[in-house]
Amino acid sequence: MTQKNHRAPEYHVASLVASPILAQLEEVKAVITSVEGAEIHAVSDEGKIVFTVEGTGFKDLDKKIDIIRVHKGILNVSPVYHQVLDESADEKAKEQYSEVTIKK
Amino acid sequence: MTINRREFIKANAIAAAAAVAGVSVPAVASNLITSSDITKLKWDKAACRFCGTGCSVNVGVMDGKVVATHGDIKSPVNKGLNCVKGYFLSKIMYGKDRLTTPLLRMTNGKYDKEGEFTPISWDQAFNVMAEKANDALKKDGPEAIGMFGSGQWTVQEGYAASKLMKAGFRTNNIDPNARHCMASAVGGFMRTFGIDEPMGCYDDLEAADAFVLWGSNMAEMHPILWTRLTDRRLSAPHVKVAVLSTFEHRSFDLADNGMIFTPQTDLAILNYIAHYIIKTDRVNKDFVNKHTNFRMGETDIGYGLRPEHPLEQKAKNNGKTKGSSTPINFDEYAKFVSTYTVEYTSKLSGVPEHKLEALAEMYADPKVKVTSFWTMGFNQHTRGVWANNLVYNIHLLTGKISTPGNSPFSLTGQPSACGTAREVGTFSHRLPADMVVANPKHRAIAEKIWDLPEGTIPPKPGYHAVLQNRMLKDGKLNFYWVQCNNNMQAAANINEEVYPGYRNPKNFIVVSDPYPTVTAQAADLILPTAMWVEKEGVYGNAERRTQSWYQMVEAPTGAKSDMWQLVEFSKRFKVEDVWPEELIAKKPDVRGKTLFDVLYKDSSVGKFSLDEIPEDRLNDESRHFGFYIQKGLFEEYATFGRGHAHDLAPYDRYHKERGLRWPVVDGKETKWRFKEGSDPYVKPGSGWDFYGKKDGRAIIFALPYEPAAESPDEEYDLWLSTGRVLEHWHSGSMTQRVPELYKAMPDALVYMHPDDAKSRNMRRGDLVKLISRRGEVQTRVETRGRNKPPKGLVYMPWFDASRLVNKVTLDATDPLSKETDYKKCAIKIEKV
Repeated sequence: MTQKNHRAPEYHVASLVASPILAQLEEVKAVITSVEGAEIHAVSDEGKIVFTVEGTGFKDLDKKIDIIRVHKGILNVSPVYHQVLDESADEKAKEQYSEVTIKK
Repeated sequence: MTINRREFIKANAIAAAAAVAGVSVPAVASNLITSSDITKLKWDKAACRFCGTGCSVNVGVMDGKVVATHGDIKSPVNKGLNCVKGYFLSKIMYGKDRLTTPLLRMTNGKYDKEGEFTPISWDQAFNVMAEKANDALKKDGPEAIGMFGSGQWTVQEGYAASKLMKAGFRTNNIDPNARHCMASAVGGFMRTFGIDEPMGCYDDLEAADAFVLWGSNMAEMHPILWTRLTDRRLSAPHVKVAVLSTFEHRSFDLADNGMIFTPQTDLAILNYIAHYIIKTDRVNKDFVNKHTNFRMGETDIGYGLRPEHPLEQKAKNNGKTKGSSTPINFDEYAKFVSTYTVEYTSKLSGVPEHKLEALAEMYADPKVKVTSFWTMGFNQHTRGVWANNLVYNIHLLTGKISTPGNSPFSLTGQPSACGTAREVGTFSHRLPADMVVANPKHRAIAEKIWDLPEGTIPPKPGYHAVLQNRMLKDGKLNFYWVQCNNNMQAAANINEEVYPGYRNPKNFIVVSDPYPTVTAQAADLILPTAMWVEKEGVYGNAERRTQSWYQMVEAPTGAKSDMWQLVEFSKRFKVEDVWPEELIAKKPDVRGKTLFDVLYKDSSVGKFSLDEIPEDRLNDESRHFGFYIQKGLFEEYATFGRGHAHDLAPYDRYHKERGLRWPVVDGKETKWRFKEGSDPYVKPGSGWDFYGKKDGRAIIFALPYEPAAESPDEEYDLWLSTGRVLEHWHSGSMTQRVPELYKAMPDALVYMHPDDAKSRNMRRGDLVKLISRRGEVQTRVETRGRNKPPKGLVYMPWFDASRLVNKVTLDATDPLSKETDYKKCAIKIEKV
């Protein structure tokens, strides 16, 4: 793990679904990807954009989501999932989240 | 493959969002979401704590703390989505200034109304409360005791409070803050249908061809429902959306027909639509003949102000007859609405004629299924009950009711305004299941269920919310307990009618809250309170959906739930302390018992043992009291409604469901009430049956446009409307704890038309004073915001504790519902 010297004690990740005005889909996608820590993972046939935002705290995350949320090409942004990792106590965290193996 | 913990939760997040959007997910992610147990995160469902939509969220707990939330994909309400409010739910409980000890105003170690807040124990807190309550009882009897509760109480908390007040202390002076929010909707339902709450459900969102928003900014206030409405509008091109408001807001983005009307003229527009339907011969005559009656309502009913106010002196019918009506026939009704021509209505409302006609045609066209939504624009209105009655008129004239997509739908603002305030009946005039204290038969039913002697419940309705403040000020209500709301911020005309009562030396004020709100700070004793998933509870949403959740985390040490506080406090009173001898004589076995024994432990509330609580579940209250109290309270409460069209399922079932819409009969929920085939209470062969009325007929009311209590004049030359913005729900006492939400909308600004600002020599960002006849408040001007008022009207949100707009508003109420009109008063604005 490379986060040992990370200054932020918390890691936040949120996933969201955005409904853009279809004519502005590409523009909206460009806005999302321009935000640091934001990443598009899928776009549905109806144009719904599935994306995540990662950050170091609620404040950081919120700032990033706000940039996207106020864009005029977006009718709705709905957060779906949010989780915070407390990385302040590294030892404790290691124990809780010791790397997990996932079968493919 | 091996992935690290960040990648792991990110993949979970992606999988959840992809599932909601209906797109395929990478194999890794789909494996992950089913493997979440290895993260040690314990997931459970809960109803969202914020608004009346009633979304279900999954809450992830680790090491006794909520660390994750996501929209519940199994929920028929939000289908996996969240909104910005729900998104930050996990943080609501972890504000820095969370209260953990009772605080009493003291000087030199003794209670002093003018003293400083000093930490004390719970035992000391209940001692002083009991002493003050006993003093009040001895001096002036039960009427000197009162409670102000909330549509954010759980069902069980509201029921426990209602029983303690109405049967224990024998006072009806209990009211919820839903009075500020839903009372006019209740009045409308009771008057038109004889039974409370919407006939339709959220499934109407996917079935309607047209939506009309009346005084509702769904885009900001009910984002999840708005998402569903948006999806419907975009996926079915024929669907149309009409939005009516006194200023332009975000819901206008989707409007095919957006209409800005002069405040109060919605009454005229509603009557115009009825006139249009009749004039164009589109009345559904078969439906109207079989299922409706017509009545002419009383007019000139005043504005619910103090009796000495000039407006009340002038009003002709503000006495007991204000809610009365007389039968009329269809022709008389048609004649009554015929004065609301398009020309007259357009001139009065400021809405162009072609827009009014397009709106009316939507309702009139028999092929168009119409759902009407409304919230505070109708309810916080000096003619709020009328506005509700008038929109029902339109749906009844066309028969567009109780079938999928045809739905007059009153939305709610609080998570359990329906479940707790309305269904439990925590209003000053009500009992559970739509019963009222003034009706001796209803009292007898309650006394039988409660196993209490005849005459326990007082027959006189108690002080409603606004009257409570007046009675505090006048020194007639002396022991007052506020739970789960922030009325010092939320009530109108704070300077003149609220603060003086809290600080009146004759009164002792207790406020229970998780945080030091302005109301808490105006109290004499503050009780630190557990919230949301720190306790087990049930909420009821706007579509009659009842939802439960388990306690998931411990409250901070020292904080106790509202229910624990109420029930524990009841141990401090012997029946002899509070009941007269003649009442005790009717049931001598209560002698020597405490209110806790009589109302809870020895009643049917106490009959469920701790064994019924799953072993791995927290339940601080039940384990403290020694019985499964949440189940006991729920089941006793449910006996009121079962068999009376308010049927609830057995308590345990709610823990397994994402809620059920009542009436739940033979295990099945009811989607559309009053319609044969979907509502088991409808008489076979009747088609529709409005069984809240004895003859099964709903009422179409002839009610006129009457002006607002206060309108702009030469000196006070602007309308002031108040309301909310998305980032701050309720009074902001929760959302302002969350720095991110606070940051997004830090201060309540006054939204003005650029021309109004210019003509007053003001610019965006200028510091200004809003001045009314009652007080003033400082804020800054916003001319470009998301809310765009027309010329002559300004809008200011009410969430900001440092800028209390309710120092300026008028405490005029609907005389029928007693709900305050926060949407209309006259002000002037000056540069500071």
